[in-house]
Amino acid sequence: MLKWYEENAADSDVVISSRVRLARNLEKYPFSPKIEEEQAITLVNEVKEITPALSQIEGRRFYACNISTLSEIDKTAMVERHIVSPLLAEKKQTTGLILSEDETISIMINEEDHLRIQAIVGGMNLEQAFKEADQVDDIAYDKLHFAYDEKYGYLTACPTNAGTGMRASCMVFLPALSAARMIQKLIEEVGKYGVTIRGIYGEGTKSLGSIYQISNQKTLGNSEREIIDNLNRIVSQVIKQERKRREYMLSVNTDEIEDQVFRSYGVLKYARQISSEDAMALLSQLKFGADCGLIHFNREFNIHKLMMGVQPGSLQWTLGKNVGSATRDQSRAEYIRKELPTIIQDK
Amino acid sequence: MLCDRCQKRDAKILYTEIINGSKKEQHLCEECAADYTSFQMEKPLLNSELTLGDLLSTLLDNYYTTSQTKETGTNKTDIECEKCGTSYEEFLQKGRFGCSNCYRSFNSQLGKTLKGIQGAEVHTGKRPKGYATKMDRILKDFTEAEKLSLKLQEAIEKEEFEEAARLRDIIKQMKKEETNNA
Repeated sequence: MLKWYEENAADSDVVISSRVRLARNLEKYPFSPKIEEEQAITLVNEVKEITPALSQIEGRRFYACNISTLSEIDKTAMVERHIVSPLLAEKKQTTGLILSEDETISIMINEEDHLRIQAIVGGMNLEQAFKEADQVDDIAYDKLHFAYDEKYGYLTACPTNAGTGMRASCMVFLPALSAARMIQKLIEEVGKYGVTIRGIYGEGTKSLGSIYQISNQKTLGNSEREIIDNLNRIVSQVIKQERKRREYMLSVNTDEIEDQVFRSYGVLKYARQISSEDAMALLSQLKFGADCGLIHFNREFNIHKLMMGVQPGSLQWTLGKNVGSATRDQSRAEYIRKELPTIIQDK
Repeated sequence: MLCDRCQKRDAKILYTEIINGSKKEQHLCEECAADYTSFQMEKPLLNSELTLGDLLSTLLDNYYTTSQTKETGTNKTDIECEKCGTSYEEFLQKGRFGCSNCYRSFNSQLGKTLKGIQGAEVHTGKRPKGYATKMDRILKDFTEAEKLSLKLQEAIEKEEFEEAARLRDIIKQMKKEETNNA
């Protein structure tokens, strides 16, 4: 079964993935600031019991595990692949995870809220992500009694999530807008419409390889539909602006950009050691070149999959062991060399 | 002053390095300082949660203090959630509720707070399947004739007089049958 980042998807030159997350809590347990370890254990077990019911969703298989028992490498790799949040990976208390085989749907248990239902799909497709998350929410509600109030909607630990409990977001690749230093302006611009732009791993994180997250800020007062429509409009605008900027950059600077793209390929293909920051920056150049049709490969290949693969956790996970940063840089270069396709000359 | 390394951002940190007795000074921005030295302003992944909570509690705190001073002339009141024991003060500090009942316990203040941070105070989105609202529960105990009377009221308010006349006749008929049966 293909994972979301292995499929070809809509508008994937700019939008890498679309994600919807629903925050839910059970009536009978205290929220995360007050929950005791013993209650956390019962909570995790109780939620994990819905796994068979979820597997009734056509074509999907689900697995459950306790995050707190996994190794550090496993956890980091999961964070890098956006399956779990940094918060869940670092939490000392018992925490759990239900994950679909294709990594589209995950339920984090005992994160900031008792359940964080998340659906992630490739490209620009918030509707599909919402449909998936909503379906899981219905099945879960059947078995678990969620805290819900007529006035305040779904009750969450933090008042910034109350109401729909929904955070919808698109992961976008904005090399042209970031090269033109237009991101700050964009952040201010979209802020007026209740939308935020942040680094790749959420709140307060740095952007790597010109990848950003665009998401709704408010969860109360608008329906799920309205939130998604609003975000769709904004992201479509961002796509348009990014494409316009790319065209402009190409029209004034084709030779230089082409040179940069091919140099990036050269370094990626022949380097003997490379840091994850360098790898991300070069892969970002390469994706840009491929999206603009400047460079062609002898086979289909997914740069975003490679971008996740070069992260420290994922790399060590593939290696199957914990290694120091020098060895890591060497194995990263080796991994990229192996994965990178050959260029087809078309001139 | 611009950062010595990137020449782009403002320098905020003076970094002094002494290697083999020779001293070297650099003016660095936060980003370059984090990259170049072991000095870290914030951890890239986690710490941000904390700042959000802090920010939120400041926001909530300001909000409560101003609104309450205005209304009652006193500072904060201390309400406590009877289920989990979270005090109102604690909620302000952490920016997190202790349990679902906190929403009920702090209800008198909450509408305004939520409006402050969310721009709205009433949920209009999804309702869980099979969830019975207060209105549903009240209506459950109503007789058919009573439900129709409500609809009749609504029709009159909307000035849909034809519909109103139709409903009035049905209700009349129902009441007649009721008295006949009794």
